[in-house]
Amino acid sequence: MSTETARATTAGPTGTGSTVAGSTAAGPVAVEARQAAAAVASVSDRGARIVVVAIALAWHTAIALPAVLAARADLAAPAVAAAGWLVVAATGVLAGVRLLRGVPLPAWPLAMLLLVVDAAVFAAAGEGQLFTAANWGWGTLGWFFVLVLWGRRVIGLLALLAAHSLIALVAVLGHGATAPADLARYAMYVYGTLSLPVAVFVGGAVIATLARQRAAAAATAHAMAAEREAAERARRDRRERLALVSGTAEKVLAELADGRADPADPDVQRRCVLAAARLRRLIAESDDVPDPLLHELRAAADLAERSGLPIDLVTIGTPPPLPVEVRRRLVDPPTAALAGARDWARLTVVAGPDEVVVSLVAPDRDGPAGSGPPTACDDGGDDGDGDGDGRVELLHEHDGEIRWTQTRWRR
Amino acid sequence: MDADPVAPVTGERPVGVAIVDDHPVVVEGVRAWLATEPRLTVLATGDDPDEVLRAAPAADVVLLDLRLHGRMALDKLAELSAAGRRVVVYSEHTDPQTMLAALDAGAVAFLAKHEGREHCVATVLAAASDRPYVPPALAGAIVGDARPDRPVLSDKEREALLLWFQSMSKASVARRMRISEHTVKQYVDRARIKYTRAGRPAATKAALLARAIEDGLIRPEEIGIYRSQASYDRPTP
Repeated sequence: MSTETARATTAGPTGTGSTVAGSTAAGPVAVEARQAAAAVASVSDRGARIVVVAIALAWHTAIALPAVLAARADLAAPAVAAAGWLVVAATGVLAGVRLLRGVPLPAWPLAMLLLVVDAAVFAAAGEGQLFTAANWGWGTLGWFFVLVLWGRRVIGLLALLAAHSLIALVAVLGHGATAPADLARYAMYVYGTLSLPVAVFVGGAVIATLARQRAAAAATAHAMAAEREAAERARRDRRERLALVSGTAEKVLAELADGRADPADPDVQRRCVLAAARLRRLIAESDDVPDPLLHELRAAADLAERSGLPIDLVTIGTPPPLPVEVRRRLVDPPTAALAGARDWARLTVVAGPDEVVVSLVAPDRDGPAGSGPPTACDDGGDDGDGDGDGRVELLHEHDGEIRWTQTRWRR
Repeated sequence: MDADPVAPVTGERPVGVAIVDDHPVVVEGVRAWLATEPRLTVLATGDDPDEVLRAAPAADVVLLDLRLHGRMALDKLAELSAAGRRVVVYSEHTDPQTMLAALDAGAVAFLAKHEGREHCVATVLAAASDRPYVPPALAGAIVGDARPDRPVLSDKEREALLLWFQSMSKASVARRMRISEHTVKQYVDRARIKYTRAGRPAATKAALLARAIEDGLIRPEEIGIYRSQASYDRPTP
């Protein structure tokens, strides 16, 4: 991830930055956006499903049932009407449960069953009750068609409703209701009972589609913003590191180039060693290795050894993963002390999951000046100690025998 | 660096040392180190522990190179320790696991080969009187011991071990902890004595523990459940 974004940013100034970033982002971003959109769409669709199930079952029980019961004496075949009511109720419950749980339905067999019931109910209504509420085939069945065919293409629903209208027409003609008033009533009923289910069906589908599109757009935008942020941060980190290096190395190099600093001067030599150590550590810092802390210390020890200092590096235990800031504060003081070490040095690391102690011991060459009480300074770090990864405490002392620099991180 | 003054060994007889190593050069080097100390005398040397001990059955201390002819002699070490031989292991293998395994097997002390003459003489003299001696490398191994069944050390003991490992100077540790050098040594030795409980029992471990109790370095209850194999036996609280 970090290498990708880094590449994208380096391409920035050449003018192709945005396209590079866009192409690297395409894979994961698109997948993420699609997942987010699907989640939003399914939430939105679930609302519509609840509405449809509620309407169908409410209509069937609150309007159709009382009407059938009230007019049962006047129906041509009350038993058939009642049986049809039960079959449709059972179908509705089955379809409703499956719809709310997201289990697929055998849509077309159920639709055929509903059409058969439709025909039976129209036949059972008889001439007298053809246009009354007791003929519940009119108002109720449209909603059940919607229930059974939810989520499919609207053309299927239209075909079913056409078949339903045809059955009604055959029934109307079959019962001999051929007067113009009857035909007008038929047309009105068909229009009145079918327009609402179609509207709800189409509306639900459109809302789900819109939700999906908007969510996808939002997710894509978020992902792009996150990528941009990561790239910015990588660039900032690199700039900071660069600033750290130029702080030490640049000045010494400039003074040497100007002739203001004398390469024979031990102090200048010390500053050079210090700058080199810091450079080496910063290079090591961005390496991708399993054990960055030890890697950075090893880099410092290597450098010291190459400049002729016998050094012992002993490590015990495995350090836990530490943020770069904590690593810097653990490694910087001992490596700086290493630059001033003469004769020999002993660099040790003792690490556990909750504590890492780095220590550098070298002979004290300045004599017993500091042989009094040890000077311990707690956390001489330049920044605040409010970081959540624990504190690094620094201890530096010399007692005439040895110079001792110790950094200690505790979780 | 310091070589701790060790109490004179009982009697006037110098401590007899047997050296087991398969590199003649190392044998000669160690012999030269020990020759500087009048209280020590080398009785036999060789590359086979059994032969060396046949030649010098009265040896008080065996200096054993842990790697003999290409293989780790941990089982031989355990056998000698169980038989009551005071074995000081010295090895160039200074990874903490190996050191702790040697202690578990019953070694009286572990010396890294690079630790030099002073540590070597001090370790052998301490071993001869069943007293602990913890060179810096061993202190590091103990302080970094992360095994779940490791002995419980006090904060002071851990700190003393850590600083001793870092600085290799008990005087500096003493200044840093603001205690006497003697107390530093006590903390370090006490941590070592707690390791006599780890691993399988061995006569040498019992002897170390008994001597530590005799010297007042540690109380039996400080190291938890303790069933002595030495004469000292008392129910634990």
